Amino acid sequence: MRQEALATVHKLAKKDPRVLFVGSDLGAGTLDEMRQELPKQFFMEGISEQYIVGFISGLAQEGFIPFFNTIGTFITRRAYEQICIDIALHNLPVRLLSGGGGMVYAPLGPTHTAIEDISLMLSIPGLQVFAPADAKEMRALLEASINDLRPYYIRFGKGGEEIVTSDFENFDFMPKVFGSKDSDIVICTTGVMLQNCLGAKKLLEKIGKSATVIHFPYLNELRIANYLKIMHSAKNIVCVEEHVSRGGLFTQMLHEFVRLRIGTENVSHISLPDAFSHNYGSQENHMDLNGLTKEKIYTKILDLNSV
Amino acid sequence: MDIDFAKLADDIVLDDRSRFLRSLILDALEGGGRGHLSSALSLLEIVRVLYDDILSHDPEVPLLKSRDRFILSKGHGCLGLFAVMADHGYFSKELLKTFCTFDSKLGGHPERFTLPGVEFSTGSLGHGFSVGIGMAMAARLKQENWRTYILMGDGELNEGSVWEAAMHASQHNLDSLTVIIDFNQKQASGTSDLIVSLSPLAEKFISFGFEVREVNGHDVSDLANQLKKQPLTNGKPKAIIAHTIKGKGIISAENSSSWHHKAKITKEEIGILRKELQIQ
Repeated sequence: MRQEALATVHKLAKKDPRVLFVGSDLGAGTLDEMRQELPKQFFMEGISEQYIVGFISGLAQEGFIPFFNTIGTFITRRAYEQICIDIALHNLPVRLLSGGGGMVYAPLGPTHTAIEDISLMLSIPGLQVFAPADAKEMRALLEASINDLRPYYIRFGKGGEEIVTSDFENFDFMPKVFGSKDSDIVICTTGVMLQNCLGAKKLLEKIGKSATVIHFPYLNELRIANYLKIMHSAKNIVCVEEHVSRGGLFTQMLHEFVRLRIGTENVSHISLPDAFSHNYGSQENHMDLNGLTKEKIYTKILDLNSV
Repeated sequence: MDIDFAKLADDIVLDDRSRFLRSLILDALEGGGRGHLSSALSLLEIVRVLYDDILSHDPEVPLLKSRDRFILSKGHGCLGLFAVMADHGYFSKELLKTFCTFDSKLGGHPERFTLPGVEFSTGSLGHGFSVGIGMAMAARLKQENWRTYILMGDGELNEGSVWEAAMHASQHNLDSLTVIIDFNQKQASGTSDLIVSLSPLAEKFISFGFEVREVNGHDVSDLANQLKKQPLTNGKPKAIIAHTIKGKGIISAENSSSWHHKAKITKEEIGILRKELQIQ
């Protein structure tokens, strides 16, 4: 996903001189082709995230569209005030490309795991928050972003995710529905958890149960109103997210459910715990521990009383 | 022999224009009943010289493409900026009296979208320098000739982001960028030396790759002369350390921590400040 994103930035920069790539200290070879081909549009600014967010805000105010990539926690935690004031208060067309969403960097410990990034970013007025599910959706999102001058925060997965959004051509901010409109089970998710949820859906289908998965790549406005029939007909709605339980997709869903008077007694939640992990291992280890693998999601759904 | 800039700043007798601009600050202070008075008095000559003699700007067209960019990174000194902007015709002087009131264009810190002519919203310290580097880089990328000026307080230099920015300004050889330090050596809680010593400040900026000049920050001729020398050295950003007196020009505000920020200011207090300004 990250490679596709950076390649897309390069492609966009060739066509549009407003597009700039800015990295912190991303390692030798990162976007070397762009660095050589478009040196004036390529910046590797070092380990100075607070400065970088201010720097790209100044560039954006003068008409550029900077795409800034580094590890998610270094964007969202280190430079929070700069994002809030320099970018969001000024409503500048900056794209924050956040590497390693969720537990991608589990082996590196809690300083590197972006477990609350969506919550932090959604709380900033005007900042548009996205979690695409695969490289194809990421590319479509970045291409569409050129026509939108609002600030963006975009969460990346680890990379190499199975492409599951092939049926959807352009990025249109809308939820993506996988399945029929009258399933008993609706699984709501965002980002790279979509693949695990689709895996759980297949396991359910193997035992004759139909499930619908709804993926929300755009988190500011879930636009659930278009899917009221699906929500109302479901016996169980399960929200699955690689994020702490508060402030992410589940919180957004509850806001919408209350606003649209959708009952919540049949809504459940699978997420990361509201705690820093002191385990390492792999992202998959943490998915398994917290019930976020396709098998664990499947099992949780089977355990729900009414299924 | 080392020049005693602090004494020079102290010795300066303000001219009529500086006293008039201070009277505008008092108008705003009276209207709002609050404000960072002594910070504004500290930086007033710097902002005056910028708008009078240095910046390419047009109050009729605040977003003129070719304008020089000026960021008051020390946003709490905005009473000084507002006085100068009003005097240049960016808005009516009557508006000063609405300072900090509910629907005023003039808040306790300057806001870009509220007041045309404010380049960037500031308030939290340590932001303007990095943003200004981005603007200066934009001018270079677009091959435009406007310049970027950032005014910071010395207390603001406590922020780590300032020194991140300082490294990058010289890394990029941004000689169209000038940072000005309002070096009054006072912060809200006391003297800078007692809180976080900045000494030796000039050497610090030199070691970060800046061309550095020290000036008497209340001497409008000295300020104008140093600010007009652009660039001092090709490829180097410029740092002007302007030695100032916090509260300059109004004796009860001079070096007074109680006037760093004050709320619920009474008419009697304003009367005293006006009298002191007249006898300065």
